[in-house]
Amino acid sequence: MRIVLINGSPKVNGSASGILLEDFRKKVTEAGYPGKKNGEAAGEAAETDTEAETGRTVFSQTEIAETGLHTASVSGEAMKELDGADIWVFAYPLYVDGIPSQLLSCLVQLEKTPVSNRKKVIYGIVNCGFYEGIQAETALAVLENWCKKAGHSWGGGIGVGGGGALAMLPDMAPGRGPKAQIDKALTALAERCRAGTVMEKEARKNIYVSVAMPRTLYKMAGQLGWRQMIKKNGGKTKDLSKRWEQEAE
Amino acid sequence: MKLIITDIEDFHIKVEGKYQLISPKGNIRPCVGCFGCWVKTPGKCMICDGYENTGIAMGSCTELILVSRCCYGSVSPFVKNVQDRAISYIHPDFVIRRGEMHHKRRYKNVILLSAHFYGEAITEDEKRTARNIAQANADNYDGKVKDVCFYHSPEELEGIIL
Repeated sequence: MRIVLINGSPKVNGSASGILLEDFRKKVTEAGYPGKKNGEAAGEAAETDTEAETGRTVFSQTEIAETGLHTASVSGEAMKELDGADIWVFAYPLYVDGIPSQLLSCLVQLEKTPVSNRKKVIYGIVNCGFYEGIQAETALAVLENWCKKAGHSWGGGIGVGGGGALAMLPDMAPGRGPKAQIDKALTALAERCRAGTVMEKEARKNIYVSVAMPRTLYKMAGQLGWRQMIKKNGGKTKDLSKRWEQEAE
Repeated sequence: MKLIITDIEDFHIKVEGKYQLISPKGNIRPCVGCFGCWVKTPGKCMICDGYENTGIAMGSCTELILVSRCCYGSVSPFVKNVQDRAISYIHPDFVIRRGEMHHKRRYKNVILLSAHFYGEAITEDEKRTARNIAQANADNYDGKVKDVCFYHSPEELEGIIL
């Protein structure tokens, strides 16, 4: 089984999507799978055939690869990674209640591109700047609709609220601290991947979580950040509220 | 003023009253999530390619009309790109509206949002998603949804008046 982690943020570096994918990769790896990162040779390892407790079949050979869809078209290199995988895990930010335009453009291209195995299993991880992970529901629905049109199988997704804080949070033991709920959701999604098959509808429901800090604190921290940034750029706090008059045509 | 954002290059749909049209002309560059439109040139996108002023146009419109191919319940990549590049319409600060976090409004106008989707085989799931996104957009713009309509082709739209 081959899993490809797809960073769908327009940012090549330093994105919350990248942080979530890295955390997800660790969850899958913790489950006993080796990983391949940024073009390194993919690792492979023998895995037990059946989990004693659940009776689920585990694929004996698993690889994890990564690719990015940061621009409006799918590169040949990315296509090769996608084509060879059984599971595609998309991570992307919520942009205007949907999928960022460059990733949407890639999805249109992918719908029309023949791939060697049409029954990929698709997962989505959406991060939003708003506190409530549920606000990512529409962006996951678009990916699920695409999945049906493209003939793939939907495995479910996670909506992560408070994405603006992810880069600032300290590394803590899994399941502890402000990322505890996010960790739990990523572990659940990793488990679904691990099962290697599409689960029943109820089991592949989307999971919505938020950073574990009070919403008021998240709001205050965000707003303080905007003030610091505009001052760093030579502006004043009141400039954040600038209104423009439209020029007459 | 009505603001129409469409992916139809050859736009022949009748519009009642004064309007501004944003349609594909030259290359549009995607939003890169730099937030420059909030903290460097507040109210205006920093990417100068002819699509940097959509947020300003939204600030003086009464109706925002999206005319787009339906892509999985979303607007098409072009219309989405224009929308992504226009988050400067709203203020970076947060407010809580109806129990959910949204952005504060920058302008005083209340946008009435219409979405006209075309496509040969729009599924019921896609229609549901499109309606939900229109409502979410209206919530985030602190506006209201007027209409969400579906058509089989862009030609079918030529029979309506926006």
